[in-house]
Amino acid sequence: MKITFPHMGNMHIAVKALLERLRLEVVPPPPISKRTFEIGIRHSPEFACMPLKINLGNFIEALENGADTIVMAGGWGPCRFGYYAQVERDILESLGYQFKMIILEAPDSRAYDLVKQIKSLGENVSFWEALKAINYGWSKLGALEALEKQLDYYLPRARDKARIEKIYNIAVENIDRAVSKAEVYEIEEQSVKEMSKAEMKIDLPLKIGIVGEIYTMFEPAVNYDIYRLLGRMDVEVIRSAYLSDWLNDHILKGYIKKSIRPDIIACARPYLNYEVGGHGLETVGNTVRFAHMHLDGIVQIGPLTCMPEIVAQSIIPQISAQEGVPCMTLWLDELAGTAGLITRLEAFVDMVHRQKLKAGNYQKEA
Amino acid sequence: MNCYLGVDIGSVSSNFVLIDNEHHLIKKVYIRTQGNPVKAIKEGFSELTDEITQQGITINGVGTTGSGRYLSAVLLGADVIKNEITAHAVAAAHLYPDVKTIIEIGGQDSKIIILKNGIVNDFAMNTVCAAGTGSFLDQQASRLNIDISDFGRRAVLSRQAVRIAGRCGVFAESDMIHKQQMGYPMDDIIMGLCEALVRNYLNNVGKGKKIESPVVFQGGVAANAGLRKAFAKILGMPVNIPEHYDVMGAIGAAMLAMEKMQCSRDNNTQFRGDEFILQGSFKTSSHECQGCPNICEVVCIKRDREILAYWGDRCKKWENSLNEKNHAV
Amino acid sequence: MRVGIPKGLFYHYYFPLWKTFFQDLGAEVVTSAATNRRTVERGIESAVDEACFPIKVYYGHVRELCRQKLDYIFIPRLVSVEYRSYICPKFMGLPDMLKAGLPELLPVIELTVDVSKNDRQLKQDIIRVGKIFTNNKNQINRAYQHGLDELSKCKNLCREGYNISEAIQIWEGEQLELSPNYDLNIGVLGHGYSLYDHTISMNIIERLRKMDCRVFVAETLDQEEIERQAAQIPKKVFWTLGRMMVGSALYMDSHDQFDGIIYLACFGCGPDSMIGEVIERKVKNKPFMFITIDEHTGEAGMVTRLEAFCDMLRRRAGKYEDYISSYG
Repeated sequence: MKITFPHMGNMHIAVKALLERLRLEVVPPPPISKRTFEIGIRHSPEFACMPLKINLGNFIEALENGADTIVMAGGWGPCRFGYYAQVERDILESLGYQFKMIILEAPDSRAYDLVKQIKSLGENVSFWEALKAINYGWSKLGALEALEKQLDYYLPRARDKARIEKIYNIAVENIDRAVSKAEVYEIEEQSVKEMSKAEMKIDLPLKIGIVGEIYTMFEPAVNYDIYRLLGRMDVEVIRSAYLSDWLNDHILKGYIKKSIRPDIIACARPYLNYEVGGHGLETVGNTVRFAHMHLDGIVQIGPLTCMPEIVAQSIIPQISAQEGVPCMTLWLDELAGTAGLITRLEAFVDMVHRQKLKAGNYQKEA
Repeated sequence: MNCYLGVDIGSVSSNFVLIDNEHHLIKKVYIRTQGNPVKAIKEGFSELTDEITQQGITINGVGTTGSGRYLSAVLLGADVIKNEITAHAVAAAHLYPDVKTIIEIGGQDSKIIILKNGIVNDFAMNTVCAAGTGSFLDQQASRLNIDISDFGRRAVLSRQAVRIAGRCGVFAESDMIHKQQMGYPMDDIIMGLCEALVRNYLNNVGKGKKIESPVVFQGGVAANAGLRKAFAKILGMPVNIPEHYDVMGAIGAAMLAMEKMQCSRDNNTQFRGDEFILQGSFKTSSHECQGCPNICEVVCIKRDREILAYWGDRCKKWENSLNEKNHAV
Repeated sequence: MRVGIPKGLFYHYYFPLWKTFFQDLGAEVVTSAATNRRTVERGIESAVDEACFPIKVYYGHVRELCRQKLDYIFIPRLVSVEYRSYICPKFMGLPDMLKAGLPELLPVIELTVDVSKNDRQLKQDIIRVGKIFTNNKNQINRAYQHGLDELSKCKNLCREGYNISEAIQIWEGEQLELSPNYDLNIGVLGHGYSLYDHTISMNIIERLRKMDCRVFVAETLDQEEIERQAAQIPKKVFWTLGRMMVGSALYMDSHDQFDGIIYLACFGCGPDSMIGEVIERKVKNKPFMFITIDEHTGEAGMVTRLEAFCDMLRRRAGKYEDYISSYG
């Protein structure tokens, strides 16, 4: 059995680590490229949302590389994602691929059920081994996210941005190669130390929060690496979600760490008081939470036609007006170019910067 | 005389301005980009040089804007590279310090900028749909067989604009043909088209934006008297047209350069000088970088044999490689 | 008290229930006019561009009601109308979207319908809404029950070949008669709030009838059979209307009496983009046409497509000769 799964940011490193510990042969899809987009778009329903198209491209490229088993998450609406796996399987079958598809449905109740699901994936692994495999994958995920946070912090501040990016890129590669938890921690620690040696700028960077749909927030290939784009413009990015938080909230039901989701939902309450599927309620809540944190601006991103994000987009102007924080929505479309997006981002950053200068509360970093 | 150079390179037109220390416009040059920004930049700049030598002008700073802002920055040597929103807002707010709304319509794109206390507070831009841009009028003018420069004059003669429906250029066109065949007077149809463009603009980029007076209308399309009238009518408020409405982006870029040079301690402009620009032969080339799966199209610009800049690479590998070389030297 | 009900979205499924409920509580019920050009224009002006056409039209209806003298506008939040099934994310946030987007909005009566787990919360919410009008809980419950009864009367009319929207018209006292002349049986699928809205659907059902087609929609079929058919696909569709459509499509595909199937999808509709794909792959025996519409779609193109589809079906069935002679 050669197992594969869809890409989402750095997730493949953690998932690969987990599956390998389950004694499975893993064939991750090649990194998302123009070709992934092209074949994904060609074989998908025209009006489906972008993540489905990229998933499909991932699967086809992985099957071409010899994968024979696809692991995909399921879900129970109302967002379209819950039906992705079904449609993707039908399309791949009609293209003549031979494969098995394993759909992990989010457990209704306990994390125990999920461990059991994962255990049954593996070849002859005990419950204890499954648990250890999860733990190992989780440690890689944790280290990657810690590095992302460092990158977001140092990139806008450092004079030599290329160096910071280089340290980060190398660290990500090394974590992928690491074979033990100790090694993972070692890489994380070393890289953080190295980044902290960078010569810093005097000005305090602007802080801009990113909210929106999960896949587009996590996958740099579809969001044009928005975190780095902003970092290079001397903007510190505050991410509204990390994969570990999302897994903890939605799959593990707060089993691993204390969830801040209740706080986010509470923030949303004056504006939206009901689940709208996907990440819509969180987008609204995080926008309010970021406003309370006095961030300088907030950017919402999502794939074009994403239903929950359209609900959030309809509500965000009201939050912007009442909480007094500039907000902008960027729809990511698999067919549009980057030029418009970059100009929009630059103009937004400029606007936020000038507003802050005018308000006179632009401080120098101590 | 000390001057600042502002350059706005768009997909349709390239504008160049020189302003003095008091923000007076000394010279403006307008050139059609015609898909060749390098040529447009050279031509535009060579037209300026006559003025520069005659009046004994020193260029103290350079600002670039527009979709070709990075390219022009490399060729000319820019002190400031700014997006169009900021450039337009700065220029308009200088002329009308209490401006609240800026309407900017160019040949291929359109923008709305909302200001609060002279600072951009909100904006939107349209780069996709032609129905709210100048090219819509260009197309319809050629279909009606009327010179576009006559469009505004004839529109204002209309007493009762024909209502032309359709939010999209294609549908508006079919409705227009229909009205034409029904025998409506030409002037009324022309005014109807102006009003259709204004409605499309307000529904598209202007959506959800609170448009408050004073309103400034700029961009090449502001020359059209029919559109000015249509905006004033539909918005129900007076619309101000700056004297140099067609080069406001370039003026803004020049002002930003001035601001930067006057604020910074070292007064050395990055401006490369006429010899560099006029004598060199500039060439752009592109290749697909195979370094990672993104397969970015990397653009390289050379002057004679010297590589001036790379862009288009997401990872900045190529861009940074140049810096490292410079550091080494 | 005067309560306004916008003539959009789930008006086309639930109006008799809501009207009876509010009337029994002593309110006067006012609806907006059927969707027209002004409704569409008002909607497009105020909804975000990315919203689907029926949502934009709903904004238009609400804005029309805001211009009238009303005490409340009824905007339900339809999350789920049956166990473990949903409507669509946009319906779940509808009242909030309208509150954020329409400064002129009158006081809103929200009613959250979410029976995905159980109906406890719905029962509480009905009482909460009823208390705006009376403190008598019995009266509120009776009014709701009466509403349900009226709704099921309407649904029974569907068995005679009327779609739910026409059944509502008959319930309101209008006279409708279906033409007995037809030579084609066509199944038309789509979300009812697009399909039955004459402006959104460009009157597709009437147009087909004028072309001598007998039109079947999901409600006119045997509901149990639809469920059986829908259960055939590997994962149950979690959108209520989507499941009805998949079931109806499979039903129509497997019964000889149907000559062809048309799916009317809205641009920007999430469920349509997935369900349309599923249906297109599952319908194997019958000619199938997928039409996508939005606010820019022209009528002429739609008419041509319908005519061509019917012509093709008649040729296929060998009915073409009769068709010509009956008009000759």
